[in-house]
Amino acid sequence: MNPIVRWFHKLGSPPYFDRFAARWAPWAYGLGLLVMLWGAYGALFVVPADYQQGDSFRILYIHVPSAWMSLFVFGLMAFYAAIALVWRIKLCEILAMACAPIGAGFTLITLATGSIWGKPMWGTWWDWDPRLTTELILLFLYLGVIGLYNAIDDRRAAARAAGLLAIVGVVLLPVIRYSVVWWNSLHQGQTIRLFGESSMDPSMVQPLIWMIVGTKLWFIGALLARARGDNLRRENGKAWVAALATGKETPAR
Amino acid sequence: MSYLDYVIAAYAVFVLVLGWDFVACRLQIGRELRNARRRAARQASHPASAGPAPRQDPDTQSPSELNR
Repeated sequence: MNPIVRWFHKLGSPPYFDRFAARWAPWAYGLGLLVMLWGAYGALFVVPADYQQGDSFRILYIHVPSAWMSLFVFGLMAFYAAIALVWRIKLCEILAMACAPIGAGFTLITLATGSIWGKPMWGTWWDWDPRLTTELILLFLYLGVIGLYNAIDDRRAAARAAGLLAIVGVVLLPVIRYSVVWWNSLHQGQTIRLFGESSMDPSMVQPLIWMIVGTKLWFIGALLARARGDNLRRENGKAWVAALATGKETPAR
Repeated sequence: MSYLDYVIAAYAVFVLVLGWDFVACRLQIGRELRNARRRAARQASHPASAGPAPRQDPDTQSPSELNR
């Protein structure tokens, strides 16, 4: 068997995944934290103030990566949920459900930091603008997935029901992405492009890239840690969990 | 720095939410391991009345099961 396919099959084994997550989550967290600290240092102390917005534009360095993460995590959650629904892979159910609280956290950061930025720039904490409203609906969808998953006792049935909601909710992602194009919006249009020229000065872009990479790494750590917690919860009562908890763990294969 | 209060508030939100996410994960893993330890201790002290014995996970025998 192809080594990658064999590794993927091994990862589906709950004890193997537990060891994998326990080993790599701290590394992803640590690396993510370092990269974010570097990015935040650049954002707060290195880049010059914006000629129009003054220093309030420094909020952008956490707002934009969080907003991108809120969309990316929802898409990933729906992807895992679709795999779990089609092939009934338990690990994908666990990973899909682990995405929800992390994505909700990033969406909350997006809304809160946008609101904090909006007060001095727009003169209001909130406006029922298409971008803001659709992002708020995204938060409700995340909360719906979390609520549904915790409302049903059977973990597998709960993951399937919540996963279905995640798959349906994917239709919201392009609406959020293009809301500033389709409707007259108070929210500014696209200023930063991964591919192509950004309308942001190059001297201001680098800390943003570090923050984007840092949030991605942090997300990997959080995903592994949350999935590990759910995996242990589902497997509670199995011999390998008892052995792990009592320190009589069998050596890793 | 202009708008300093707003910048501090925004970064504080960022740190608090990510910090909560980190702590919540640690607490959940700790809780599950504690539950497993309690269950193992109950079974060790009252093997007959402590409910079913820990199931031997077939995954420890076979590395390739994805979809139990």
